[in-house]
Amino acid sequence: MNDPYKILNVPSTASDEEVKKAYRELARKYHPDNYHDSPLEDLAQEKMKEINEAYDTIMRMRGSGRGASSNPSGAYGRSASGYGGYGSYGAQTDPRFREIRAAITRGDLHMADHLLSILLEHNGEWYFLKGVICQRRGWLDEARRNYETACQLAPGNMEYAQALERLSSSAQSYRPEGYEVFTSGCGDNMCGRLACAYCLCNAVTCGGVRFFWC
Amino acid sequence: MFGYVQPAPDKLTAEEEQRYRALYCGLCHTLARRYGAVCRMVLNYDFTFLAALLSGTIGTENRRCIAGPFKKRPVACENPALDLAADVSILFTYWKLRDGAEDSRGVRCLGFQAAGAAMGRAYRRAAGLHPALDAAARRELERLSELEKAGCPSLDEPADTFAALLSSVAGEVEEPVRRRVLEHLLYHLGRWIYLVDALDDLKKDVESGNYNPISLRFSLKDGILTGQARDVVVSTLDASIRQMAAAYELWDFGVWSPIIRSTVYQGLYCVGNAVLEGTFRAAESRRGLRGKKEQV
Repeated sequence: MNDPYKILNVPSTASDEEVKKAYRELARKYHPDNYHDSPLEDLAQEKMKEINEAYDTIMRMRGSGRGASSNPSGAYGRSASGYGGYGSYGAQTDPRFREIRAAITRGDLHMADHLLSILLEHNGEWYFLKGVICQRRGWLDEARRNYETACQLAPGNMEYAQALERLSSSAQSYRPEGYEVFTSGCGDNMCGRLACAYCLCNAVTCGGVRFFWC
Repeated sequence: MFGYVQPAPDKLTAEEEQRYRALYCGLCHTLARRYGAVCRMVLNYDFTFLAALLSGTIGTENRRCIAGPFKKRPVACENPALDLAADVSILFTYWKLRDGAEDSRGVRCLGFQAAGAAMGRAYRRAAGLHPALDAAARRELERLSELEKAGCPSLDEPADTFAALLSSVAGEVEEPVRRRVLEHLLYHLGRWIYLVDALDDLKKDVESGNYNPISLRFSLKDGILTGQARDVVVSTLDASIRQMAAAYELWDFGVWSPIIRSTVYQGLYCVGNAVLEGTFRAAESRRGLRGKKEQV
């Protein structure tokens, strides 16, 4: 295994508190919620496993018996367990949709979309799965519309509500400290300072490019 | 590409900012070396960001430049990533001009045609080097023009054309994990650029009757985006930026990390906000003037 300190990006002289802090930051970064329905989910899962192992190794090496048994943050849990395919919902699922969920989990979006298209009855589950397929493809606006319809048709369903929440709220996702701007606006008018900063080789570029594009 | 992709200046140290400048100048020199001085014109921030994504470790050397001939500045050295970024710049700009010539009339159309013709040789060379990219550009622009003709009222479908095109650049990268990360990052970068550009042109397109997916998606009569429609556009732009940031975290971009980080966690949001508020173009022209004064 690689150097666990390097994985957590702390010096080997770091205090327990510093190690914990570094671990938490990384766990927030690679949290399953940030990669749900992303085609890169498996890569994030590997990262999460790596940092969990590094943290456990360090704690074990320091011999204080605070390894796997005492995770520093209940909130993030052994977060890797949060990763999972759609098969895991199989038990509560209408059998017709089970095959579609399996296809999505395999990454076979074409097949999943085809199977959906031949179903005539469009219920909440149908719209939810359509939304998942859209989201995997990066069609985020259509994904949101489908999730919204799913939630309207099946108001109490937590799975659909969570999918919609994850897609529409930017507040919960990871940001490094000090980055707080959104497209809708920003705290202390940092946006005002935007464009003036880079006056690179203006003579050639701004004139030239604007000439072409304006 | 349109110059929307910029890092956030206040998040970069002096050294990082200088590295960004060196990359920008390096791309400019590479364009001139490979395609002739006129092709420096296609240089913009979006392609510079692309170069940062594609580059590994790059050294710099001090060189003079036609924009500032009296002082030597650090410039990124020749390397395959800059070559690729330059080739992509030429290909995309050429196809964009072709597309512009088809969409416009009169003097504007002539302007596009003349610019396209001037780039003909450069384009043929770049297309010969990357036939797959050239085919993708042709295919996706055809798909886009079909959607435009049909008046497609979706945001995702037309955006998917440019997103898929930009994503195909990742196909030129060897390392499989890096390729996957870049495919996803570039897809959402392309989607974001397409939608921000549509937002930027909203009023103009509604007045001239040109195709605009945002106007069609929300049936806007006057080209003014308000209330719920505005929230939906903002939320979908934010969601694409989050996808880029999440992809960025899965690969070590080395010395270019600060530039990419400040772009995907702040720069894009700032530009999106400026476009939304209608202050982006104003800042651009102000900057153009200031740049010219500095030259004098």
